[in-house]
Amino acid sequence: MDIKYIDPFIQATVNVLDEFFNVKPEVQKPYLLDKDQEHQWDVSAIIGIAGEAKGAVVISFPAELAGILTSRLTGKSVEEIDEDVIDTVGEVVNIVAGNAKKGLEEYRLMISLPSIVSGKNHKIAWPGKNAPVIAIPFKTEFGIFNLSVILENIIV
Amino acid sequence: MKILVVDDSRIMRNIIKNTLQYMHQKEDEYLEAADGVEALEILLHNHIDLLLLDWNMPRLNGLELVKKLRNIEQFVNLPIIMVTSEAAKYNVIEAIKEGVNDYLVKPVSERGLLSKIKRIFPAL
Repeated sequence: MDIKYIDPFIQATVNVLDEFFNVKPEVQKPYLLDKDQEHQWDVSAIIGIAGEAKGAVVISFPAELAGILTSRLTGKSVEEIDEDVIDTVGEVVNIVAGNAKKGLEEYRLMISLPSIVSGKNHKIAWPGKNAPVIAIPFKTEFGIFNLSVILENIIV
Repeated sequence: MKILVVDDSRIMRNIIKNTLQYMHQKEDEYLEAADGVEALEILLHNHIDLLLLDWNMPRLNGLELVKKLRNIEQFVNLPIIMVTSEAAKYNVIEAIKEGVNDYLVKPVSERGLLSKIKRIFPAL
């Protein structure tokens, strides 16, 4: 499996966490995500990718970490997944997807507006039935979050 | 100076506004819009000196707004800085071709934002 096309997404994720939140995440070992498996995340931000490749980029957080990141931007404490949390995680995935395009310039890609799904073991409507989803966990001082990327025609 | 900040993220609008307020020791006035439709409405009813414009937004996106504005005489010379996550070169070229004055990729740094504004308004 050629996962070199995942690297722009990893770099963009590290960069946005550092620049935006002053958090330096450690990249953990990537794995193939089982789309039907239960998961531990409370909120996921999703961006669809279209153009010369179809796919999606998803960043999933536990509620506590999403709240900590949000409060770093707003200066207010966060008690639940509210509008500010949704705004924050949406902007994070937007920046990750948009920035990653720079490392994938051989393909002309368009990104959608972010959509947010939350709740215990929430479901994500992954595009592409057969394409693999590559998941990359990131460790931070406040907990672990997950980046998942699916790109039909590119990652096979 | 009257600055219109257009972004569908309220938090991002606040970050941009707070960054400029912190750096600029002047009495700038800020107006905000969450998409291109709101922005156009504000532009038609206010004198705006500078437009800071996101690309990906609902209803009317930033690039579509730029195309509209450059076809309206009163906005032909309106300074526009696109502030967006879209980092691919082909996106930058497309935006410049449509008439943006400058282009800044998010995440935005204080220095990056100020230097772009100073290129348009050297006296600041």
